[in-house]
Amino acid sequence: MKKNFKAIIQIILMAAAMFALTVVSTNHVSAADTSLQRVKQRGELIMVTSPDYPPYEFQVNKHGKDQIVGMDIDVAKKVAKDLHVKLVIKSMNFDSLLVAIQTGKADMAIGGINPTAARRQSVDFSKIYYTGGQSFLINSSDVNKYKSVKNLKGAKIGAQTGTLQYGLAKKRIPNASVKGMDKSTDLVLALKTHKIDALGIEKPSAEAYVKNDPSLKMIPSGYSLNKNETGAAIAFKKGSTSLVNAVNKSIDQIKAKDLTSQYLADAGKYMKVNTVNTSMFHYWKYFAKGVEYTILISIVSTFFGVLIGVVLALMRFSKQKWLRGLAISYTEFIRGTPLMVQVLFVYFGIGVVVNIPALISGMIAVSLNSGAYVAEIIRGGINSVAKGQTEAAESLGLSKGDLMRFVILPQAFKNIWPALGNEFISLIKESSIVSIIGVTDLIYQLNIVRADTYRGVMPIFVAMLLYFIMTFALTRVLNHFEGKMKHAG
Amino acid sequence: MQDKKILEVNHLSKKFGNNEILKDINGTVKSGEVICVIGPSGAGKSTFLRCLNLLEKPTAGEVKFEGTDLTNVDEKQLINLRERMGMVFQSFNLFPNMTVIENLKLAPIRVKHMKDDEAQKVAMHLLDRVGLAEKANAYPSSLSGGQQQRVAIARALAMNPEVMLFDEPTSALDPEMVGEVLEVMNELAKEGMTMVVVTHEMGFAKEVADEVWFMADGYILERNKPVELFDNPQNERAKDFIGKIIQNV
Ligand SMILES: Nc1ncnc2c1ncn2[C@@H]1O[C@H](COP(=O)(O)OP(=O)(O)OP(=O)(O)O)[C@@H](O)[C@H]1O
Ligand SMILES: [Mg+2]
Repeated sequence: MKKNFKAIIQIILMAAAMFALTVVSTNHVSAADTSLQRVKQRGELIMVTSPDYPPYEFQVNKHGKDQIVGMDIDVAKKVAKDLHVKLVIKSMNFDSLLVAIQTGKADMAIGGINPTAARRQSVDFSKIYYTGGQSFLINSSDVNKYKSVKNLKGAKIGAQTGTLQYGLAKKRIPNASVKGMDKSTDLVLALKTHKIDALGIEKPSAEAYVKNDPSLKMIPSGYSLNKNETGAAIAFKKGSTSLVNAVNKSIDQIKAKDLTSQYLADAGKYMKVNTVNTSMFHYWKYFAKGVEYTILISIVSTFFGVLIGVVLALMRFSKQKWLRGLAISYTEFIRGTPLMVQVLFVYFGIGVVVNIPALISGMIAVSLNSGAYVAEIIRGGINSVAKGQTEAAESLGLSKGDLMRFVILPQAFKNIWPALGNEFISLIKESSIVSIIGVTDLIYQLNIVRADTYRGVMPIFVAMLLYFIMTFALTRVLNHFEGKMKHAG
Repeated sequence: MQDKKILEVNHLSKKFGNNEILKDINGTVKSGEVICVIGPSGAGKSTFLRCLNLLEKPTAGEVKFEGTDLTNVDEKQLINLRERMGMVFQSFNLFPNMTVIENLKLAPIRVKHMKDDEAQKVAMHLLDRVGLAEKANAYPSSLSGGQQQRVAIARALAMNPEVMLFDEPTSALDPEMVGEVLEVMNELAKEGMTMVVVTHEMGFAKEVADEVWFMADGYILERNKPVELFDNPQNERAKDFIGKIIQNV
């Protein structure tokens, strides 16, 4: 259904596993399975999901409040109810779901996950609670051309990268050229703009799209498939047998009473309500929230980034060799690794030792990252101040601290102001990466709106405009201060 | 009192890597004396001057300031002694991020812990003395070279130093501005300030210097009263060098 892990996630997983190993080995490995007991003691069942996949899970605005709804959510609610505990829903990128349960961020992950053999190696699965089946979406204008799967021979077919659909289209459609993309919303857009001829997709998702968009039609895949590899199951941390068994009891009931049909119908109702008004203005609250978080993260990270940067830069000029070495290693390491990996590492890796919420993790990672870049900029600025300034100050008897504070740093900051400004602007843009751990910044909200409205381009355009407004406003503010400093000498 | 030794240099040597710039420098500067140092480019005049307040650390030898060997004191003492020696640079080195008056007040307030209004009084008095009181609130970049150098002299004087070191204070100036700076230095000398001046301004040297030292090849090759040294040099290198600067004038 959805993606497998990406290489990056695996790096993080390895790092997290190393962390976990060191932590666990000091406490001795406890063989006893306390997974169910812990949930009951806590009184809460924590689940993670990626709410951009209607009708499985998606975000709606119900009575003015954001809510995650869908078939999977109803399944989880039933499970929680049967366990007599409260359901807590956390949301993050699909890529991160399995990592989240492995690192103990949640008790279970649900999100139309196929219990494939590969995944079974790293997590435990419940019984399958739903089998959707495969289908293709095509443009309505092509109904005569593509009457059935047979007509797709040699066609351009799209599918989510790393999914079952992707592999099936490659193997079973003769001569097809298969194009992979990350988000189903992007794929639908590619279909509608005729970049692809058909889109391999889960039946319930396809049905949802067709219901909401008359320009799309669905044809059945005709694949004969092993049910075990196509159904959706709930994922748990390895060794959670007691919890899995308890959940399986609920799933047995769901299947016996065919509750998923009811759940799907309910999800469909939300989608109808939800797609009546797909104007971007209707979603202004989503965007506003995204902007709010993006600004919050940027401000906090700029502040701490500069603080860390100044400290690191001064360390570079210290007499102590080890302080210099530490600052150099830190800067080189941060600059040599992608921000995305750092964000994942802080959230999942450090998260094994202390559980830091996603927003704070994001801020920490972005601040640590920015600090390294700011340090380099400040160092350059300090070096750019003429040597004669130091000599003049020293000949007057000023101490090293006063020399830095009154003479060097003010001049350095003036010289580096444009470079610092660029750093702040790129921080606003690059902070968007925190959406992968479920921080509701502008990018995250953008994807929610896209999944919600079935409109591919407009939300992107709005987000682009909002980013531009933010960076442009900041540029003006920075220019204002630059002008002021120019005036002073 | 006239005989009190302010500076005393014994067997001073300075190497940059394997490059020995100062080989064996000896000399004494007494209270109220004005010494002019001349010599060809690269002779080590700046290096010598910078060794006097330890902006440059000597490789060997002693630099005594009022009897204390500066090469043997810790960082804190050094800073204490340094504040009593003023230095004026070829390139002025005013702090561009501060106004003229702030340039003057910074060290008295931060180093001598002077009160702001007292520092203000001292600074205004000195600016008046160098003829720049009306520029108190200007930034250095808006001043001419001559004005900047006069501010730099006032800034050094604000610490009330016992000796002033000048490193070619007029050689970065347009010719028409040299006079105003020399005039300030001239007055300073006449008021009895002890001064070591690296300069090729013969007129100035002849008028105020008690002694001129000719430096080359890492040594002071000749020292004498200015008139004697300029008009009748004994050392061959000095003869050659003075011939050249007279030609250039
Ligand atoms: N920090 C340094 N590192 C290495 N070599 C240096 C350093 N400072 C000065 N030197 C060298 O020492 C020599 C003397 O320099 P210095 O500036 O003292 O000469 P000077 O007599 O003042 O010359 P000028 O008349 O050009 O100012 C030069 O050859 C210079 O290259
Ligand atoms: Mg020089």
